[in-house]
Amino acid sequence: MAPTLGLLLAAWGASALVQMSVDREMARYRESPEILWISSGKVLRTLSLGHQSLLADVYWTRTVQYYGSRLRDHKTDFSLLGPLLDITVTLDPQLTVAYYFGSIFLSEKPPRGAGDPKHAIALLQHGIVANPDEWRLWHHLGFLYYWELRDYVRAAAAYQAGAKNPKARDWMKVMAAAITEKGGNLQTSLFLWSRIYDSTEDPTIRKNAAGHIDGIKAQIDMEAIEKRAQQFQEQNGRWPASIAEMVSHGLLPGVPVDAAGFPYRLKPDGTAALNPASTVTLDYNHSPAPPRAPAP
Amino acid sequence: MIAAQTLAIARNTFREAVRDRVLYNLVAFAVILIASALLFGEISIGVEKTILINIGLSSISVFGLLIAIFLGIGLVHKEIDKRSLYSLLSKPIHRWQFVVGKFLGLNLTLLVNTLFMSMGLWGALYYLTRSFQPEDVYIWTAIYFILLELFLVTAVCLFFSCFSTPILSAIFTFLIYVVGSAASDVRDFGTLTKNPLLESLTTAIYYLLPNFSDFSVAGAVSHGLPVGSHLILLNTAYAVCYASMLVIAAVWIFSKRDLK
Repeated sequence: MAPTLGLLLAAWGASALVQMSVDREMARYRESPEILWISSGKVLRTLSLGHQSLLADVYWTRTVQYYGSRLRDHKTDFSLLGPLLDITVTLDPQLTVAYYFGSIFLSEKPPRGAGDPKHAIALLQHGIVANPDEWRLWHHLGFLYYWELRDYVRAAAAYQAGAKNPKARDWMKVMAAAITEKGGNLQTSLFLWSRIYDSTEDPTIRKNAAGHIDGIKAQIDMEAIEKRAQQFQEQNGRWPASIAEMVSHGLLPGVPVDAAGFPYRLKPDGTAALNPASTVTLDYNHSPAPPRAPAP
Repeated sequence: MIAAQTLAIARNTFREAVRDRVLYNLVAFAVILIASALLFGEISIGVEKTILINIGLSSISVFGLLIAIFLGIGLVHKEIDKRSLYSLLSKPIHRWQFVVGKFLGLNLTLLVNTLFMSMGLWGALYYLTRSFQPEDVYIWTAIYFILLELFLVTAVCLFFSCFSTPILSAIFTFLIYVVGSAASDVRDFGTLTKNPLLESLTTAIYYLLPNFSDFSVAGAVSHGLPVGSHLILLNTAYAVCYASMLVIAAVWIFSKRDLK
């Protein structure tokens, strides 16, 4: 019995060792290029033999895995993201999570997304036609026009159209009016990103929204610091040397910190900046723009 | 008397089917696959329940199809092969009773199997959500549509098994299922050509083939969308009419068949 067991263990150990060598040898053969063999959702729908919704789930999972792996590997090319999402929603037009995910990550600039807001808009418009009750799709469409394209006229029109849905929240009307009146500003942007954060349970979308919210809040904080610095300059005839000096003069209750917990810096010309070690990213660095004239 | 005899054949067909070990393997495999959907949902985002319902319904449909074909192809051939048909037909039983009894027996088997697989789906759904939502009731509509689909597949299988070998019957049934699932695409293809002759031909093929794609509502119910009662009625009527046509054809062929 013991010799047999010994032989079995030895054989198993040897096979495991050989398998490890084979794995190392096979690694270079397994690296295949990312290709969509069938790029048409309509063809796949026919080939699915009535199981198109299951196939949509498979493609949706593949989309999520594709995006996650590109992000993990710090790759900036998301060329398959759009086609994968198109196939997914062609197979299952009611899979609303794909429109929400797609609208964010198709439009986000690399390295966060594909940087293709027009494709994202087309995807959302497809979603709105297929899901007329989903008023949040209008919110995402308006948001894309507002945030990515800075097209405040179309953004306001999208919020207005979405507000007509009986299930839509009241703030959709408020947003339409606010964007028409003020165009882009930090408070509006903060409000819209917060709505995106609150309206989803998708951890990837939430993490992305949280990053933008932190960035906008930092921008608001820095504007407030700069105002106080201006006040200091008017009182003392020079720019403050540091934020701590402003605190000692009673202009600030304490040294403010950003969402990552790092204190802000003050430059010699009185402008505020993020701590170099901070993980917060600023992506809203333009002055509020006036509303554009309506498109002809 | 005639009804009782036919039902006795159906009952025996059911008893014979449930003795088949392959059947249990297929049902067990389907239930395991449905349970595995819980893991599959983990690697996706926000659609765990949708994936579970889609995998569950597709498993019921695919394994039901396999059971229908594997049992259906031997319905007539096995009885001839074992010579049990001769002793049966020597009694005052019509040939049509044999065919109809076999058809009903196989459908009873599929009904019971589908219920077992559905229990697996509902169990997995409860494990995932810990509660049922009012819209979950629409899953039963999808299961009912799968049963109608299997009802049609059984009729196709029975039709071929009346004049063909089991292997050929399986191949023919599977091909009919594949083409029938894409029946509307065949018609659309004809429309796209804008050739009146081809258009008429593809339209004729569309109405001749069993249209399986109309029974696919998994996508809607997995998102909690209801299926209209009008569609339920129409699909039921279609399945009954089409299956009746095939059973009548099977009875006619079997009645003409020389069994000596």
